Amino acid sequence: MHRLSAFQVLLLILLVAFVVVPIAMPVIFSFSLFWQDILPEGFTLRWYQKILAKPATSRSLGVSLIVATSAVLLNLLIAVPAGYAISRLHGRFRRFMTTVARVLPLVLPPVIVGTALLLAFSKPPFAFSGTIWMVIVAHTLLGFPFMIRNTLASFDTIDVDTLSEAAASLGANLWQRLRYVIVPNVLPGVLAGALLVFAISIGEFEVTSMVAGFEAQTLPLQLFQQIRNDMRIASAISAFLVYVSLVCFLGMTWLGGYLRERRA
Amino acid sequence: MSDGRSGGGADAAPLPAAARRRFGPMRPELFLLAPLLLFVLAFEIYPILVMAWRSFFDRAGDVTLANYLRILEDPVYRTAVRNSLLFATAGAMVGAVGGTFVGYLAPRLPPRIHRFLLSLYSLPLTLSGLVVAFAFIVLLGRNGVLNLIVQQVFGLPRDVYFDIYSWYGIVLVYAFFQIPLMTLTMAAVFENLDRSLIEAARNLGARPWQVWRYVVVPVLAPGFLAGLSIQFAGLLGAFGTVLALVGGAKNLLAIQIYYHTSESTYDLPQAAALSITLIAIIAGVLVLLNRLERWARRSGGG
Repeated sequence: MHRLSAFQVLLLILLVAFVVVPIAMPVIFSFSLFWQDILPEGFTLRWYQKILAKPATSRSLGVSLIVATSAVLLNLLIAVPAGYAISRLHGRFRRFMTTVARVLPLVLPPVIVGTALLLAFSKPPFAFSGTIWMVIVAHTLLGFPFMIRNTLASFDTIDVDTLSEAAASLGANLWQRLRYVIVPNVLPGVLAGALLVFAISIGEFEVTSMVAGFEAQTLPLQLFQQIRNDMRIASAISAFLVYVSLVCFLGMTWLGGYLRERRA
Repeated sequence: MSDGRSGGGADAAPLPAAARRRFGPMRPELFLLAPLLLFVLAFEIYPILVMAWRSFFDRAGDVTLANYLRILEDPVYRTAVRNSLLFATAGAMVGAVGGTFVGYLAPRLPPRIHRFLLSLYSLPLTLSGLVVAFAFIVLLGRNGVLNLIVQQVFGLPRDVYFDIYSWYGIVLVYAFFQIPLMTLTMAAVFENLDRSLIEAARNLGARPWQVWRYVVVPVLAPGFLAGLSIQFAGLLGAFGTVLALVGGAKNLLAIQIYYHTSESTYDLPQAAALSITLIAIIAGVLVLLNRLERWARRSGGG
């Protein structure tokens, strides 16, 4: 590996600092006793214990995990087959589907999805708003574009037709073709999509704040209250959300590297 | 009329084999799209239609245009629309310029580091808007670390600080999302820029401005404009981070919608009309940028 020039080193430090310094703030805050001056003082885990000790926050931790897991599972059930189907399409229909998948989330930002869900599902017989089901549905909707994009990309990089035909000519039945040919080839891409959906769901505030009500308070909703009430608990919740993002990010980076190596 | 019909029939009946291959016959795989379509229909299209419908009724249930007229007449809503457009423009500019800059510089680093940097810049995409709000309050709030450092280094009085709760501050916080987003777009665009094309133009005697006008800009412009539309659309609908920073103190269209759906100023038909307005504004901006994109593509590719 060749050495970097002074310009490159400076550039790298600045570009990395731009993302890393803000992300480090809640993490440092969450482990310190006081932070009034430039440097934080003391070390403590008390603020993390408070998340678990306070019923409202510990409950919201559970709600967040359930919602994010459900949104990932629903996306696996719904968006992965769709991504596969789109990858088999050609010409105009495929262009149409990918355009819709790209443009729809832009035209319908979270604030509008939230308002629409509230309006459509607040009266019987569809009075779902204010329940955890509505939050799961909203997060699934927000995850679709990413899941479809990732699935589509993985199916596009392998030639499903040729591989399936080759396997079929060797006597593999549909189940065996799925199990040994298709799934191993697309699994890394789909897993990366799942991690992305999980990370987005865990941190989502906008739609959630509109449709959650009192029953389905997620961690970010608690964070919103604590930013006004208690910056220490807020720091611990923020730091926890950073860890989840980091773990998902590391997973996606590892999967990306794994894919690159296998292709090379 | 009958001619036209029979002509259409003749076109449709014997579908050439090539066309059939291109569009594909109805494959069983298409049924795999069904769950997605049903879900989107039930939880996205249907609610949007309900919302559009409800925006034409008042709270008593009578048909009215008052919700829309109020947006045109009430200074609060007019300011909200104006602020949203200004905020989105400012944020999109910062993001577009910053992201283009980083996307241009990143390839000058060794490939491994370049790749690491790009994946690092996808991290903000997954980060909660509230976490980012919290981070910037700690960093640049009234007692923010950066403010304290700058005050002590330059010996400034305590009441001189960067105000994260001002419009400038909010745009700066959003830059944390917007610049990385644009970087990812532009890095891919710059990779497509063929250096040999630039050299060829130079060898043929093109002046620097001609190289930019006829080679570089036409290649970059479509990707840049596509990135810009994502920035605009995202910023027009953004409210989470703003809400965490300043509550309702800043009047944005998205904030108005949020407040009309929550307890204090609960008015769902008005929220619906504001939402439809926001959809129309976003769609308008996207169409405009799409026109520009097509124009840029044509003027370059010609």
